Amino acid sequence: MNTFVRWLGYLFVIFIAAPLLVVVPMSFSTSSSLEFPPPGLSLQYYEKFFSDPAWLRPAWNSILIASATTILTMILVIPATFALVRHRFWGKGIANLMMMMPLAVPHIVMAVGYYSYFGELRLVHTHLGVILAHTCLSVPITFLVLSANLKGFDRTLEQAARSLGASPRRVFLHITLPILRPGLMISALFAFIQSFDETVVAIFISGRGAETLPRKMFDSIRQEADPVIAVVSTLLFVAVILGLLAPQIVKAVQSALGRSARNASE
Amino acid sequence: MMRRMTRLVDHQTIWPWLLLLPLAVYLLVFFAVPLIEVLKMSVTEPKPGLGNYQKVFTGALYGKVFLNTFGTATLVTVCCLIVGYPLAYLMSNTTPRRAMMILLLITMSFWTSFLVRTYAWMVLLGNNGPIIWLIEMIGIADPPGLLFTRFSSTLAMVHILAPYMIMNIYSVMKKIDPVLIRSAESMGARGGSLFRHIYLPLTAPGIANGAVLVFVICLGFYVTPVLLGSPREQMVAGLIGNQIEQFLAFGLGSAMAVVLLVITLIVLGIYHSRFGLDKLWG
Repeated sequence: MNTFVRWLGYLFVIFIAAPLLVVVPMSFSTSSSLEFPPPGLSLQYYEKFFSDPAWLRPAWNSILIASATTILTMILVIPATFALVRHRFWGKGIANLMMMMPLAVPHIVMAVGYYSYFGELRLVHTHLGVILAHTCLSVPITFLVLSANLKGFDRTLEQAARSLGASPRRVFLHITLPILRPGLMISALFAFIQSFDETVVAIFISGRGAETLPRKMFDSIRQEADPVIAVVSTLLFVAVILGLLAPQIVKAVQSALGRSARNASE
Repeated sequence: MMRRMTRLVDHQTIWPWLLLLPLAVYLLVFFAVPLIEVLKMSVTEPKPGLGNYQKVFTGALYGKVFLNTFGTATLVTVCCLIVGYPLAYLMSNTTPRRAMMILLLITMSFWTSFLVRTYAWMVLLGNNGPIIWLIEMIGIADPPGLLFTRFSSTLAMVHILAPYMIMNIYSVMKKIDPVLIRSAESMGARGGSLFRHIYLPLTAPGIANGAVLVFVICLGFYVTPVLLGSPREQMVAGLIGNQIEQFLAFGLGSAMAVVLLVITLIVLGIYHSRFGLDKLWG
């Protein structure tokens, strides 16, 4: 029983890994179809991606929209998270529920709403429209990550600074913010990824004017499914791996620098 | 009432609400209003009344699509459990290094965009893909097309949603005290009964969490069923998209969206009353 379940586990490891493994070779294909393994290797689809405005523009739009969404989300969520984590007040339960609601509503439902509402406001097919919509959808995950960080915050550090005569403003700027910085960075990263990956709402409201990368990929998969998609997938994939390994890389670089510094001082 | 009012205006309540105000106003204007817009359209477009809902609940097509969506969501949830449980078991019963590698793989899969994973399945299951090739190798000439069927979309959705299940089960399974297992074994518990009396009850919360997440996400899934599924066996989200984009039937699309939303909220509501929604997303 034990070994059987274990082997089943390994089998499912392959199931999870296999799709991730086909994407990279596909991006170097010479064929224009979904042939796998590819009949020959080339960089032609990388060239196509990096020279075709029809791909570069959506990529740039996505970066722009995700960056703006991140800033707007953080401005709105940071104070709200402080209120919800550090205070007990009337209506807290409702406020908590309000923060999580965008996660409970299926994106297709919101897409229908935005399509009509932003149509009236003339925000369909604009960057601003997508940013405003994505900010709503990014609120819950950003709040979850940030509040988890804030809950683990040791408040005696702030009290110590206060008792030593620092003003509340000073405490916030010199104690609270620096300690909270990693948490803020991670929650901002989550907001960015949420917007960068969001597909359904973008399909309905980004249009030609503010076409995002997921929307372009969706249309392209639906229509021609050429290996440029594999190129984009590979690039996104590399970004994910770099993101996951970033802490290790930073640590390795730091220890290498530390070693060379030690060597230099010896 | 009076006391509540005075509590409402005292400093302790005002300050947190001031901090919350910008976000609350924002969500009201850009989240609640569009949602209400959907509700409104469902009873006013093209003409006022409940005609759209009548269509949704009596039209053969719509009933079929809702049933299909339910069936698919249930199937995907069960498959995710079948994939997730042995994987979580393997991860909690192997060397830490190997568990770490598997965890990294699952995290990587989780962070890879839905679209990328959907495309990968298109390559794997395509007519010039490795799986068809394998089937032909076994000796089945002229195998049936796998792409754009219910099978391909279900498989891809299981792959995409399995990480939710795995993470949830793993997070409870790794906390099971090995002493508990050893003592159960020393008292003669083997295979089936060990699973029934130790593993199942202790991992039940993780299963419940994972199942609700997978089920709810699957109910409203748009991208993968539209790209990989059979056009004749649509799911609700795809049909809503069709109504809006192709037929400009905003009323009917909205009515279906409202029904989908209500079903989703009911599932989440049941979960909330039993476990508390704040635990669902970790």
